[in-house]
Amino acid sequence: MTLRFLLPLLLAAAPLAVSAQLAEAQTRLKTAVTEVLSVADRTGNRSALPEKIRPVLKKYVSFETMTKRAVGPGWRQFTPAQQQQASQLFSTLIIRSYSSKFTPGEHPDITYHAAKEPAAGRVDVPTSMVYKGSHYTVVYRMEQMLITDVVIEGVSLIANYRSQLDAQFKKGGANAVISSLTQSVSRPQ
Amino acid sequence: MKYHVFTLRLLLLAATPLLTDCSTPATKTAAKPATEAAVKGKAADKPVKGDDGEVDEYATAPDISDPLEKLNRGTFWVNDQLYTFLFRPISKGYELILPRPVRKGIDNAFENVKYPVRVVNCTLQGKFKRAGQETGKFVVNTVGGVAGIFRPAENIPALANIPEEDTAQTLGKWGIPHGPYLVLPLLGPSSVRDTVGLAGDYALNPVNWPYLYWFGSRSKHDWVIVPPLSNSLRSIPGQLDNYDTITKDAVDPYLSARSAYSQNRAEAIKK
Repeated sequence: MTLRFLLPLLLAAAPLAVSAQLAEAQTRLKTAVTEVLSVADRTGNRSALPEKIRPVLKKYVSFETMTKRAVGPGWRQFTPAQQQQASQLFSTLIIRSYSSKFTPGEHPDITYHAAKEPAAGRVDVPTSMVYKGSHYTVVYRMEQMLITDVVIEGVSLIANYRSQLDAQFKKGGANAVISSLTQSVSRPQ
Repeated sequence: MKYHVFTLRLLLLAATPLLTDCSTPATKTAAKPATEAAVKGKAADKPVKGDDGEVDEYATAPDISDPLEKLNRGTFWVNDQLYTFLFRPISKGYELILPRPVRKGIDNAFENVKYPVRVVNCTLQGKFKRAGQETGKFVVNTVGGVAGIFRPAENIPALANIPEEDTAQTLGKWGIPHGPYLVLPLLGPSSVRDTVGLAGDYALNPVNWPYLYWFGSRSKHDWVIVPPLSNSLRSIPGQLDNYDTITKDAVDPYLSARSAYSQNRAEAIKK
C-alpha cells in the first residue's frame, strides 16, 4: 500500500533528480575551468604550468578512468602496480599536453550548452569555445562529477589514445604500454 | 632553366592544396568507408558494453581501413622531416615578420574568398538554409569587413560559427565511402574519397582560378602563382600548430594522426 503510494512520487522525482545532476555537472565544469584559468594566470611561466595545474585537475578529472578507457580491454590484464604506473604516466602526458595549449592571460570565451545524459551515470556537457579567434566545439564527458574525456571537434582524446595504446598492448602487453608511455613522457618538449 | 622554374612551380603548387583546403585542422582534422565511419561515429554516441560488462563506447570510435600502412608510414615520416626542416623555419619567419593581428586579417580574407567551396557544397548537400547563411556571411564580411579582413558577421548570431562544408563531406553525405586511408606527400592525412574532394575544393577556390585558367600555357602570366602560394604560406603556421597538437604528446604519432583525422571527418559529415 505504502509502495503503491510512493511509486508515482518516485517516478515524478526521477527526472528532477536527473536534471539536478545535469545542472550540477555543468556547474562543476565551470568551477573547474575557472580554477584552471586562474592558476594559469597566476603562474605566468608556461614551463611551470603542468605542475601548478596538476592538483587542480586531480580534483576534477578521473585520470584512472581515463587511463583504463584509453588502454581498453587489455586493462584487466594489468597488475595493480602496472595500472598505477600507467595511470601516473598517462596523467603526466595529458596534463602536459593540456597545459601546452594555454597562453597565460588569454582566456577562451566559453558558452556552456545544456548538459545531456547519454547513458546512466554519464553526463556530457557540450560547449562552444572561441580561443584566439577560432571556434571550437568541445564536449566534456563526465562520470560521478569527474571529467573522463574531452571531445574537441569530434576528436575524443581517449579514443585517440585508445587507437595507440591498444596497438601497443597487442604488440607486447602491459609492459609495452608502460614502456611507450614512459618514452612519450620523457620526450623533450 | 625554364624547365627548372616550371618544375619548381609545379612542386610549389602541389603543396598548395595540402597546405590550404585539404589539410584539416587538428581540432578540425579518418579510414573505413565514409558511410561506415559516419555510422560508427553514430554508434559511438551510444555507449556499448565491453567484455567485462562495463561501458566501452571507445570500441566503436570511428576508424579507417589502412591497407597501405607501410607506405603511409613512410610518407608520414618524410612529411614530418619536411615540416620540421622546411616548413617550420618558413612558419617562424612568417610569424616573425607579420604580427598576429595582420596574420589573422590575412587568414580571414583567404577564408572569406573560399565562399564558393562552402556555398556549392552546402547546396549539393541540400543544406539550402546554410547556403543562405554562408551567402549572408560572405556579403557582410566582404562589404563590412573590408574584403573579409575583418569578420563583422561574427557579431550576428545567425551568421557566426557556421559549420564549414567541403567537397569530401558532400561525397560522404552522398554515401561514397572513404576508401583506403592515404597519407599524401606534404598534405598529410586523407583518403581516396577525400583526395578527390580536395581536388574539388581546389577547383572551387577562387584563389586558384587564374592559375587553373592559364595552366600549362607557359605564358607570361607568372603572377598567377602568387595567390595560391600566398594562401599556402599563410596557412602553414596554423597547420603546423594542428600537427603538433596531434603528434607532440602521442605514443604513436602516425596512429594519433589517423585516429584524429578519422574522428574529425566523421563528425564534420554529421554536422
